[in-house]
Amino acid sequence: MDRLKQAALLTRLMERLRENGSWCGETHIQKSTLFLQDLMKVPLGFDFIMYKHGPFSFDLRYELTALRADELIRIELQRPYGPRYAPTDHSKYIQGLSPITLGKYEDRIEFVAKQLGGKGVTELEKLATALYVTHHRAETGASVDERSKQLTALKPRISSENAKTAVEDVDRIMEKAQEYLR
Amino acid sequence: MPKNIHEIRDPIHVFVRVSTYERRVLDSRPFQRLRHIHQLALTYLVYPGATHKRFEHSLGVMELAGRVYDVITRGENLSEEVREFLPEVQDEYQRQYWHHAIRMAALCHDLGHLPFSHAAEKGLLPEGWKHERMTARIIRSPEMDSTWSEMKLKSDDIVKLALGPSEASKFEDTADLKFSTWETILSEIVVGDAFGVDRMDYLLRDSHHAGVAYGKFDHHRLIDTLRILPPPSSGDEGNSQEPALGVEEGGIQSAEALMLARYFMYSQVYFHPVRRIYDIHLKDFLKEWLDDGAFSTELPSHLGMTDNEVTVGLLKAAYDGCKPGHLHARRIVRREHFKRVYQRNPDDVRINPEAGKAVFEALRAEFRTENFRHDRYPQTSDAPDFPVLLRDGQIVSSRALSETLNRVPVISVDYVFADQSIYDTAKKWLKENQTGIIKLKKEETDNG
Repeated sequence: MDRLKQAALLTRLMERLRENGSWCGETHIQKSTLFLQDLMKVPLGFDFIMYKHGPFSFDLRYELTALRADELIRIELQRPYGPRYAPTDHSKYIQGLSPITLGKYEDRIEFVAKQLGGKGVTELEKLATALYVTHHRAETGASVDERSKQLTALKPRISSENAKTAVEDVDRIMEKAQEYLR
Repeated sequence: MPKNIHEIRDPIHVFVRVSTYERRVLDSRPFQRLRHIHQLALTYLVYPGATHKRFEHSLGVMELAGRVYDVITRGENLSEEVREFLPEVQDEYQRQYWHHAIRMAALCHDLGHLPFSHAAEKGLLPEGWKHERMTARIIRSPEMDSTWSEMKLKSDDIVKLALGPSEASKFEDTADLKFSTWETILSEIVVGDAFGVDRMDYLLRDSHHAGVAYGKFDHHRLIDTLRILPPPSSGDEGNSQEPALGVEEGGIQSAEALMLARYFMYSQVYFHPVRRIYDIHLKDFLKEWLDDGAFSTELPSHLGMTDNEVTVGLLKAAYDGCKPGHLHARRIVRREHFKRVYQRNPDDVRINPEAGKAVFEALRAEFRTENFRHDRYPQTSDAPDFPVLLRDGQIVSSRALSETLNRVPVISVDYVFADQSIYDTAKKWLKENQTGIIKLKKEETDNG
């Protein structure tokens, strides 16, 4: 995908996440982008790997730096917490140049923001790891128990019970997402 | 009685100490080859002192990795929470094992570099290859493996710490490596964005040899204050559980100085426009000079190719019009390099974040020649967010604590260069037409 269209989509995602109550730190953007790309099939083109805090894309981290260099996003601080990202007014100009792309994926962005905007880092790490296991590690049609076991194998600090809940939650989100993928 | 520890004099760290086993790695052919790979490629054509090699840098990285490891695993520097999460730090055998492993990973992290380091990498290796993959291949080679066996080290552990999860995930022969939290932290010590000793050493060493002061910072203080810490709260109800490399409050200014040093070195040395265009001319030369226009990924060929072979080829080609790569070699050797005709600026970026690309394409179309080059290199990592242990025991985000870290500018290279023969005409034409060239058009069709 053309970089400017990708920037339009990412900044729109950040707007919607914040409107839906997200802290919008790097973790929130990372996990929401995974859902947008893997589940909602928005072709953003980021590679995700299993990292310390669940699925993580270094490409996306680099792109966030580049967006800051281009003055399309800025950092907000609120001691003692980590930084939050906010789209700048200038990002509206870039979004305005890609009306067709944004129109095509707007409802998918809104869906992800609604599902994940209210969730904190711990919850997002579990859900994103559950989605990653479902899409990249487990056999197609693997049961909740099988996927929960894979999740706890990857993240031993997550209890079996919490892993099972995360997989079930992801299944519910996947089911709801079907409406937007038809 | 024979000595088991050997000292090597070093201009940055004074002494680098190696054991007899470690010296076997130093004496191996892959490591000795690094004596002939310039750390900063052709930068010596701009900063004449910058002729240092990957060999001494690798020794420095090993020295610093050992120092950092000793600090972060020292008993009084480990909280109960971290001890519980990382059993490796409590087991003396494991503590020793990883001490050796991280030093060897640091020593070997650059073994796969091509001639002239990064300058000639992009586009001169087959798809799916970077120097990190060559590094992994060399570490796993039979020649090196026998040394690892004698040291009771697993080659894959060394590969993991030398590449880190980000790079390892990119290649088919390392993508399956699984990183524990401990291994991830150790790899961050070697090649991490925040406190990677690779970066610490290259900033100090490059600064020293280039003859600039920009890369210097108080690395002694920084290393002494490094700790493995639980992460700070993210600002919502959740909090990640995984520990990470951070600093005690007293080290925050040294961490700021490291990030400023990086900023100054990038803006003054690494992204110097003349240095950048020499890299491009070198790559153009190699494409014509090398068999098949690319470097081989076979180990014997790789190990037999250094800056020396390329330099001999450059010198011959520069003065012989019949040799492949003559034109590009001449541009380097006779200093007939292209000149910067456009560079990114904030006003243009507000109109078009990819203004350089637009300018480059317009110049090529207008003048119908190949006498332009575009160089785009966005900075990949922002100032890192790491945990800071305050004196009252609270752990906070470095970005919340430090105004300085938040204000370090992000550098983004976007240059267009022109052949000197066409430079004045191109510059004049660009001045008259630039506004229209960089203007972006609204999307009219759905093309993905």
